[in-house]
Amino acid sequence: MAPIYLGEFEYAVLLAVLHLHEDAYAVPVRELIEERTGRPVARGALYTGLDRLEAKGCLRSRMGDATEERGGKARRYFTVTAAGLKAIRATHESLSNMARGLESILGHR
Amino acid sequence: MKVAERLLAIVVRHPDHRDSIVGDLREEHARQVRRLGAARARRWHLRQSAGIAMRYGMARLLRRKPPVRWITVATEDQGAQRWIGSRDLWYAWRSISQRPALASVVVFTLAVALAANSTTYSLMDAIVLRPYRFPGIERLLVVTTGDDHIVDRENVSPADFREWQQQSTTVASWAMSLWWDANLSGVDIPEQVAGFRVSPGYFKLLGVTPLLGREFSEAEAQQGEHRRVVLGHGLWTRRFSADPQIVGTMVRMDGEPFEVVGVAPAGFSIPDGAEAWAPLALTDAQWQDRRQSNYSAYARLKDGETIERARAELTAIIDTQRRDHPDTNTNRQARVLSFMEGMADPGAGPFMAISQAAAILLLLIACANIANLLMARGAERAAEYSLRLALGASRARLFTQTLLEGLLLSVMAIILSMPLLAIGLGLSRASIPASVMRFLPGWAFIAIDLQLFLMTALLGTAAMLLFSVVPAMQAIRTQVADSLRQSGRTLTAGRNRQWLRSTLATTQVALALALLFTSTLALTAADRTVNGVLGFDKKNVLVAQMVLPARTYENADKRRQFVADVTDALRGIPAISDIGMTSHIPAGFGGNSRQFWPEGVELTEAEARYVDYRRATPGYFGALRIPLMRGRWFDDSDRVDGTAVAVVSTAVARQYWGDQDPLGKRFKVAADGPWIEVIGVSGNVTHNWFVRRDETVYRPVTQEAPFTVAFAMRTVGDPTSLAGDVRRAVAVADPDQPIASLTTLETQVAERAAGFTFIANALGVVALIALVLSILGIYSLMAYLTTQRTQEIGVRMALGAGRWQVIRATIRRAFGITVAGTLVGAVLAFALGRAMQAMLFGLVATNLLQLAGIVLILATAALLAAYLPARRAARIDPMTALRET
Repeated sequence: MAPIYLGEFEYAVLLAVLHLHEDAYAVPVRELIEERTGRPVARGALYTGLDRLEAKGCLRSRMGDATEERGGKARRYFTVTAAGLKAIRATHESLSNMARGLESILGHR
Repeated sequence: MKVAERLLAIVVRHPDHRDSIVGDLREEHARQVRRLGAARARRWHLRQSAGIAMRYGMARLLRRKPPVRWITVATEDQGAQRWIGSRDLWYAWRSISQRPALASVVVFTLAVALAANSTTYSLMDAIVLRPYRFPGIERLLVVTTGDDHIVDRENVSPADFREWQQQSTTVASWAMSLWWDANLSGVDIPEQVAGFRVSPGYFKLLGVTPLLGREFSEAEAQQGEHRRVVLGHGLWTRRFSADPQIVGTMVRMDGEPFEVVGVAPAGFSIPDGAEAWAPLALTDAQWQDRRQSNYSAYARLKDGETIERARAELTAIIDTQRRDHPDTNTNRQARVLSFMEGMADPGAGPFMAISQAAAILLLLIACANIANLLMARGAERAAEYSLRLALGASRARLFTQTLLEGLLLSVMAIILSMPLLAIGLGLSRASIPASVMRFLPGWAFIAIDLQLFLMTALLGTAAMLLFSVVPAMQAIRTQVADSLRQSGRTLTAGRNRQWLRSTLATTQVALALALLFTSTLALTAADRTVNGVLGFDKKNVLVAQMVLPARTYENADKRRQFVADVTDALRGIPAISDIGMTSHIPAGFGGNSRQFWPEGVELTEAEARYVDYRRATPGYFGALRIPLMRGRWFDDSDRVDGTAVAVVSTAVARQYWGDQDPLGKRFKVAADGPWIEVIGVSGNVTHNWFVRRDETVYRPVTQEAPFTVAFAMRTVGDPTSLAGDVRRAVAVADPDQPIASLTTLETQVAERAAGFTFIANALGVVALIALVLSILGIYSLMAYLTTQRTQEIGVRMALGAGRWQVIRATIRRAFGITVAGTLVGAVLAFALGRAMQAMLFGLVATNLLQLAGIVLILATAALLAAYLPARRAARIDPMTALRET
């Protein structure tokens, strides 16, 4: 089965979800992406992105508990599925392959 | 926050996703409040929500595939939380929009029925129930006297009135009025105005303040001081260009200068379409008079008094007067009426009640229609309901949703009925001639008001809820296993339900038939009043009516001279072939009646019957083509100083002299009057359909010249083109004399019956709508049943049934409904027709042939409505039908 293609933003979202482990819901996901990439993320784009990723099978969501500060509304937590992990690896690999040999220009990591 | 979250709810369809987003935003919002303050945080929240909503909206638009329907099954606990949520409304809307044809039929049917009901109700409310709307009207009385048969407001004598005024203790104030044909002259075209002489305090008693100026003072109710006038708003606008400076100026009325002291407020024209009021100035002798009894009396109750107490008190006073003055007061029994009763047009009430009853029948038909459709729909949805029940929806939830669907439909129907109502009222207003409108005091109040709107809304909602309950009950009773099993092969509903639906359709047919028949009766009657046998020829006759002012024409010779002068001038017009003059034209307003005392019969005042009393010139009978049965018409030999003579109608001759020769017989028209000899017998003339009195006595103008004058001219060609010539001819005889009305006799007859015609037409429209609705009902029911039986028909045809056999099988039910409906309807129509006959002045009889014709039309239409779906069924390709499950 061919790996699922990920866009740049989707790639970032999946990485953020991985970073956050058990705590991955929309608010910290967005904050993490903004913090690490230094670019503002529109909430609408994030939500539709999350939905799209779930529809592609990269993410799974479950409803958490409702809390007082959220006015009785539950959080929707995301976890990366096996297929999602595969897609991340594939994307990461292809991007690294593209960058190989350009270390002098891109700088060291 | 609320708005923003609702916005999100619209675009984010998945409830969990929506909740999580709303929760996230609230969480962040709480942080933003600490950072930015409440106001800016709120703006932030709205901006973010809008942003998300837009993204979601765009995403949905761009998605190729139809959106995934998140089918959520309501669970018990959710139902408990929120009984009716926006989700239920949305669901109801979807369920309705899935069947647009059915929904539009239901909405349209209800809207039409509601509009018809509201239209008749608002007409009835304005014209019959509340034609007068001024403060304290419930404390106003009309007091009059009369015998057992007739209630006539204008039947009070000044002497009686004065005693009521002095003796009663329950009444705070009194007022009196007397008809006054006011001739307005001194303006380019003189005009006759409907006027009344009223006692001072009349306006105050009615609770009306003049728009300009004031009303009359006691001092002005004296002879010599009485030349003052309050102008009606219409007259003031029409003839005086609504001049605000008019108070204090002089106008010429009856050839004399009158000072304008006031202008009445717009819409005030009490009594009887009055446009001018002058003080009633009676001499002492007139105040003593008991004989002259054509005044009206109005009273306002004291605070704390009731109409019952006033009635008891005044009845005692009037009974005493009857005992004390047997020569004049024998037939005067007390009539103490509320203002509404006293001023009401006696004919309007029952007729409006008929149309209202018709409109209610129409609503019933519409409801039967809707019930049928909704029940059919309910049966169709049995499978859906059981599925939802099986998936865990509560019965209460299903019930609520079904009701909600009904509610939604009724809201749409109410909205649609409003423009229809406006059209109905507009048409009603346009269909009454202006000359008649003035005499319908409530006409100005015909409008859509809040009360009417609420009533319509209530009626619509009640009707729809009532008929949503049936399918809703079905929904509740649905047995999951049963209906899932049933929905396998046959889809035809159970026997009970079919029976109920057939009964409803039968009722519709029956009601429609009854309505059609009664409206045909009313229309026939209305047509007869205008086009029936009247006893004269109304074609090509021009009529000029006027009233000669008493002061100028006090001398009878002057009146005779005026008639002669005008007749001479009219002779000069070549297009006029015959000219006659009479005191009262047929179908005109006003009239004169006298008691008839034949020679040789001793009658008391109470026994002598009234006859129609008219004055005429010899030419009158020729101009109207009234036939001479015996004897001769008047001629030059009938002089003032000669024998008093008269022509009587056939009805008089038959009534009083039977088979004897009436010529040469004598009679009196007053107990102490002279003998009058019969010289001729004329054909009967229907002067007024509503007061059928064929007994007429004609007296020659040469012997008795009237003040009311109507010239009748038979013309060659169009009578209306001669109006200018006739005006000039009258002006030659007397330039100050206005023509009160110049119209054709045909118009006069039509306008006299205009109110009646209007109601009959309204009834006709209602009946036509009823016909359409009931046909629609049968059609939709049959079409529906046929669709449900598509599969069965397919099987039958596959097994070899022919087209005709299929049609027959489908149409059999419709045939049964039609036969039963017309049978019941015919009985109902016959009974209603009998009841209406009494109200229609004997104009029509229940005509069995007519009834048979209507039955035929209705039955044909009903069967045609059933045939169309049947034919469609017969064309079904068996394979398609079988595949369609």
